[in-house]
Amino acid sequence: MKATLAQLLMFLMLSASSSVQAMDGLRETPYLQEKVQAGELPPITQRVPDDLQVVQLRADQSPGEHGGQLRLLMGKQKDIRQMVIYGYARLIGYTADLELKPDLLKSIDVVDGRVFTLHLRKGHRWSDGHPFTSEDFRYYWEDIANNPELSKSGPPRELVIDGQLPVVEFPDAHTVRYSWPSPNPYFLTALAGASPLYIYKPAHYLHQFHARYQSAEVLEKMVKDEGKRNWMGVHVNRDRPYKATNPDLPTLQPWMNVTSPPAERFIFERNPFYHRVDQNGRQLPYIDSVAIGIASSGLVPAKTGAGESDLQARYLRMDNFTFLKTTAKRNDFGVRLWQTAKGAHLALYPNLNTNDPVYRDLLRDVRFRRALSLAIHRYEINQVVYFRLVQESNNTVLAESPLYKPEYQSDWIQFDIKQADRLLDELGLRERDDRGVRLMADGRPLEIVVQTAGESTEQTDVLELIHDSWLQAGIKLYTIPSTREVFRNRIFSGDAVMSIWTGLENAIPTAENSPMELAPTSKYQYQWPQWGAFYESGGTSGEEPELPAARQLLALSNDWSHAVTHDERVQIWHKILEINRDQMFTIGIVNHVPHPVVVSNFLQNVPDTGFYDITPGAYFGIYEPDTFWFDEVRR
Amino acid sequence: MLRYVLRRILAMIPTLLVISVLVFVIIQLPPGDYLESHIAELQSQGEAVDEQKIQFLREQYGLDKPLYEQYWYWLIGMLQGDFGYSFEYDLPVTEVVGDRLFLTVLISIVTILFTWIIAFPIGIYSATHQYSWGDYGLSTLGFLGLATPNFLLALVMLYLANVYFGTSIGGLMDPEYIGQPWSMGKLVSILEHLWIPVIVIGTSGTAGMIRRLRANLLDELQKQYVTTGRAKGLPPGKLLRKYPLRIALNFFVADVGSLLPTVISGAEIVAVVMSLPTTGPILLSALQSQDMYLAGSFLMFLAMLTVFGVLISDIALAFLDPRIRLGGTANK
Repeated sequence: MKATLAQLLMFLMLSASSSVQAMDGLRETPYLQEKVQAGELPPITQRVPDDLQVVQLRADQSPGEHGGQLRLLMGKQKDIRQMVIYGYARLIGYTADLELKPDLLKSIDVVDGRVFTLHLRKGHRWSDGHPFTSEDFRYYWEDIANNPELSKSGPPRELVIDGQLPVVEFPDAHTVRYSWPSPNPYFLTALAGASPLYIYKPAHYLHQFHARYQSAEVLEKMVKDEGKRNWMGVHVNRDRPYKATNPDLPTLQPWMNVTSPPAERFIFERNPFYHRVDQNGRQLPYIDSVAIGIASSGLVPAKTGAGESDLQARYLRMDNFTFLKTTAKRNDFGVRLWQTAKGAHLALYPNLNTNDPVYRDLLRDVRFRRALSLAIHRYEINQVVYFRLVQESNNTVLAESPLYKPEYQSDWIQFDIKQADRLLDELGLRERDDRGVRLMADGRPLEIVVQTAGESTEQTDVLELIHDSWLQAGIKLYTIPSTREVFRNRIFSGDAVMSIWTGLENAIPTAENSPMELAPTSKYQYQWPQWGAFYESGGTSGEEPELPAARQLLALSNDWSHAVTHDERVQIWHKILEINRDQMFTIGIVNHVPHPVVVSNFLQNVPDTGFYDITPGAYFGIYEPDTFWFDEVRR
Repeated sequence: MLRYVLRRILAMIPTLLVISVLVFVIIQLPPGDYLESHIAELQSQGEAVDEQKIQFLREQYGLDKPLYEQYWYWLIGMLQGDFGYSFEYDLPVTEVVGDRLFLTVLISIVTILFTWIIAFPIGIYSATHQYSWGDYGLSTLGFLGLATPNFLLALVMLYLANVYFGTSIGGLMDPEYIGQPWSMGKLVSILEHLWIPVIVIGTSGTAGMIRRLRANLLDELQKQYVTTGRAKGLPPGKLLRKYPLRIALNFFVADVGSLLPTVISGAEIVAVVMSLPTTGPILLSALQSQDMYLAGSFLMFLAMLTVFGVLISDIALAFLDPRIRLGGTANK
């Protein structure tokens, strides 16, 4: 017993000394040295949380050195929000392996999927040095989410489960508890999102713009000076952590904006109070500042090719690849090919809510949708448009997802005109006019108009190829390009019979990700906008889903949100994927389209391959750009 | 004369009112509003859209109000010097535009000077040496400039300047000077970049000006007073400068009306292609995203400048050319 006690004591002493060592081992950042010496900033030991997070570098990464400026290019001023996505400091975030891990939080306890206890890091500070505590969470919950003026319809959807609000408690300065009566499967993924749910706000800063804490006269003056209608306008304008337009707004991100818009070049400087430290005691991020140049999006590939960006993927396209390769050597950068995580790079969306009753009946028949898919020559499209670099596929989960099954990807996508003909004949579309185009029940020729948003010629190129193969099956295709707003309004109103757009946003989901995207739950789902609107509005607008399969998807999606165990969720996911495979509600064409990523030869720790997509990867976010560093010796 | 000017100024009021209605209606013509195009953009990037926030912003921006009310609000604001609020930038319109005005004016003025410096001697030369080799050669060159699409020329020159002189692509200065206070280095950097847009925008204008000057001058050169002057032994240079050239310059004064707005707006397309920090790209993107007060106020401003410019050129012409002044009274 005595021995064990001694051992315990020794262990305690050891762990104590090791933590002291960790604190002693912290090295001051050269960039901030002057400010620390001048007394403007506290020394490093007081800037990081007591429970600091030592990052685990991945196998392909190496510990780095401080310094340097990362140059990026963006197409417009609004794009500086990308820094909040790239920075990706979230309460809880995805790792590069897409597992959820507490980041800003020290830890998080979940009981029954409905009680979430968030533990903050002691001594964690906002970028202005003010402590980050449960008060910041209380401010959000009581003074923003439940303020009838700031949030008219109450807290955001992710926090309302079956119409029930959570009980939110703040037991002490470093603990926050959200408890719902039933499980909330959306909470953690919403916190980890690329555009996250912010359930904390810098209370000490925002107080001065809130009617509860600020006198009416002062607010009135601010409202007048800023040309707003009321104090809410002033508050909301300051409180936009995702937009990163307010340099005064304290942040927890690795880099903070120090440039007031409007500007042509934005500088983000390192957050001196950032909570992560590397194994050698260097506070992250390694890179001191980020300079974002704003240029016309069409010039971004040219500027990147001229070596004016150190890390660029935005506004680059596959057809820039050869140009970038030729200039890579001269300007010391490499071009890597990352993957996109969309279910389909392009997919056809038959509008099941289209106004024309004849087309609607056809589109709602699964045999017709299958015939349309069988009459697409995907191999040809792959060869002609994509240099055979992509995968012919349905609009479904990718092989990288644990939920993948080969049949989801490959059923009904082989080019088979005979079978397509048979299916169309079965539907009674036997008569043809002199062009060989089939005639519908009311005698009109079967002409399908596909709406495009006019984003790129790539869509029209692909549609041109589909036109040729569909004509073999007796279907005439027309393309109408328009602008995004017109495109969407035509689909919502039912004027559009079919449209072309990208597929599933997150095609590498785990069972813990919501399957809502595959069920009629949003009016932005172009295959059934009215059914989606019905769900979204709680039945006040749109139409109730009429197809049994769609109703079943909705029920399954609902089951998923009430499921408790992992196995249950996996099963539900597979049922949903199976229905989508069988029913072909969307007609995927290709996926696994590579995306060029330009990386300066001196920039270290950027993975060679990865997923370039906003969901779930936050573009570079999950690969931890705070650990990227410049090898000045090589330069 | 005074009554003439007064009447012209009074006539400007209904003109501008009609323009303001037209501008407002045309901006509103495409379906949807700023927030809808904002949602569409977020969606296409795969970003989450918070319907509640959109609703909130719609109220804040006054987009839930009927059109005539929005128009009234804008009009009254403009009369008080408040040009409205840009949704896209979350800033008052004056701040968004004001920031870029200086560089826009700089580019435009340099471009205009460039055009004049090139066009004048050539125009005079080709008029006085009509159908000579020089006339043909220079005219061909001018037409080449007119016929080459500006954006293409811009891209080619950007590329060449980057490869041979190491000039950064696009923009008006090297990135490190953007947003920095003025310095010698910044000035040099601007000069390094400035010549490309000046040449690109200038080439098309040059050709037009050469042709007009040549045509006007040719008309005058064949008149009898020129022959008389020459017969009396006036030196050819003095004869040219003193009489026909001055009369041929009428078109030049008449141009002032259209000159003023171009000084402010810059060449939109070239500015977009070359990513110049001028007002042109702002106007274009504001129209695309239906940022209505930014686009509307800017267009109104241009309309005002045009109307004023025309007035100024009319008055100046009347002063300069007795034929116009006296002809006007004779007709009454």
